[in-house]
Amino acid sequence: MSLVRAERRRFLKRRLIKWLLVIAVALLAIIATAVFFSNQKVDAATIAAAEAQADQEYQQQVMYWEQRHQVCGTVKEGTPEAEMCTYDLKPQRSDIRAEWYMPATFGFKANFEPLTMVWAAIIAVIAFVIGASFVGAEWSTGAMMSLLTWQPRRMRVLGTKLAVLAGWLTGIGVVTFGLWTGALWLIARLRGDTDGMTAGTWQSFGLTGLRGLGLILAMGIVGFLLASIGRHTGVALGVALAVVIVGQVGLTIVLTMLQVPYFGMYLLPMHLLAWMQKSFVVGNEFANCANPNGCEEVVKTLTWQGTGSIMLGVTVLLAVLAFWQIRRRDVA
Amino acid sequence: MTAVLEIQGLRKTYRARGGPRRALDGFEMYVEAGQVHGFLGPNGSGKTTTLRTLLGLIRPDSGDMRLLGHSVPKALPQVIGQVGAIVESPQFFPHFSANDTLSLLADAGNLPQARVDWALELVGLRDRAKERVKTYSLGMKQRLAVASALLKQPKLLILDEPANGLDPGGIREMRDMMAALSAGGMTVMLSSHILGEIQLICDSVTIISLGRRVAYGPVSEVLQAHSTNQVRVRLEDVTDLASAAAVLSGAGVSVQTHPDHLLLSNVDKPALVSRVLAERQLYVSELTPLSADLEDVFLELTGTAPVPGQARQVDNSVKPEQNGVAA
Repeated sequence: MSLVRAERRRFLKRRLIKWLLVIAVALLAIIATAVFFSNQKVDAATIAAAEAQADQEYQQQVMYWEQRHQVCGTVKEGTPEAEMCTYDLKPQRSDIRAEWYMPATFGFKANFEPLTMVWAAIIAVIAFVIGASFVGAEWSTGAMMSLLTWQPRRMRVLGTKLAVLAGWLTGIGVVTFGLWTGALWLIARLRGDTDGMTAGTWQSFGLTGLRGLGLILAMGIVGFLLASIGRHTGVALGVALAVVIVGQVGLTIVLTMLQVPYFGMYLLPMHLLAWMQKSFVVGNEFANCANPNGCEEVVKTLTWQGTGSIMLGVTVLLAVLAFWQIRRRDVA
Repeated sequence: MTAVLEIQGLRKTYRARGGPRRALDGFEMYVEAGQVHGFLGPNGSGKTTTLRTLLGLIRPDSGDMRLLGHSVPKALPQVIGQVGAIVESPQFFPHFSANDTLSLLADAGNLPQARVDWALELVGLRDRAKERVKTYSLGMKQRLAVASALLKQPKLLILDEPANGLDPGGIREMRDMMAALSAGGMTVMLSSHILGEIQLICDSVTIISLGRRVAYGPVSEVLQAHSTNQVRVRLEDVTDLASAAAVLSGAGVSVQTHPDHLLLSNVDKPALVSRVLAERQLYVSELTPLSADLEDVFLELTGTAPVPGQARQVDNSVKPEQNGVAA
């Protein structure tokens, strides 16, 4: 337990961690502020004004149509003008929506999940750097070696650090999710609406938050494990950069050139969307529609369970490598 | 006396680009309780590898090690609380203060926080304890490293180059502190290149060269074993040196003639020289037994004495078989 206490305190004393958290909260605050000022509360008068504007627009569209329709009655068949007149449809009132003439308003139910993905993405990136630095800086400065002369059970030391990191990241995730939800709720109350919120909706939002928390934990732990294997924060950051540049940009180019069907299935962002949205549909841009039996299947669905299994598999593999390595490799 | 540190047949080979490099080659070492023991060796001789292996940081290929009677690395978790150590240069997280650094170590070792102030006071860092380590000089970092080793109030204190970066006052403080700790019953193992310090404060020494022990024992015995019993003789009249050399050679003494003195080897009784020369009316003005110091012994045993015009390479030490010194 003494080691847990020491690591818990060490986490809180790290300046980089404090700054990263400040940056994360600042980013979320900036986004929330932007959302706040770009939305307005819509009252009955605003709706009435918008309806009136929509009516006016409808009348104008009908007038334009009537003018066109008269012209269409005189054109000869087979001319380009006649071709255009085949689409000579009279505008309907329902085509002109009053919302188009209303200022943006923040609907909590509609906007919560997309904005929860923003929260999860920001905190996950911060968690990755925190995880990498928490152990990487210890290795590169020699502080880890000093610690091992106090606690020679290396697996226990690494395991304790990892557990403490996971504990803190869970806390950070829960607190920031709570703050984020509160901020979005407040924005909805002041600049939009909270209509349609049922117990089922809250449950669904809670599960989205849990998946976001899972992503944050996974990213933090992967950062920790990569830095532990490389014994330097830079190794984890280098791997992350390589994955983003080579693994995503490069892979997209290669897979496109090779016309690999459903190549989106091999790309990280699609999996992240699948994880956060529960599923994500990947299209096949190279589907053969010249087939006499019709097009090949044009979509495949990534599920959060599939993506979660991959995420878990990678994390477990890295954990095995990191623990095997700290047990076997000399500390020099 | 009880041995607090025992090493037998310790071997460690590193894989290197140029092929395997044997860092420890059957190394042996004994440190008895309550002593200040010097651990000497040229750069790359295996000192740090030995210390790291003892502390479980490096896995040996073979060999037996015991710390405070327990076999290590197996029983290291049981004894590590009684072993304070600094290995090589002091390494701490640069953005933490000295106080934070020791406080976290105290937590990790389940020690009372009151020890932190005690250790910082002892090494003279009390007034700078709240400053970040990255602002410290090398000497201050070294003091902090010693404080971290003392924090456990260990039975065995292992210090690798503790005087590195210290000012003269600091070196003397360190020497006095080690003497006081030893007097209090603590065993201190001290690796250093400042051989004068070692000779002053150590009860016993081990000298390592190319991964093997080349000498060990009480400092006085090691010096005695490698003493050449040389005597420097000056005469009242320099012109008599040739005659004196002839007389002494005739008496069975090995003589080297220098412009202003004679250097006699293997002289058991210097008084004999005086008597033999006086019988021939050759009068001695100076008769000085030349005793070897630890630096001479070290340079001799490790073959690392500088040779004019040659740039010695770090692996150019001497293996025990080569200089014929029995360990």
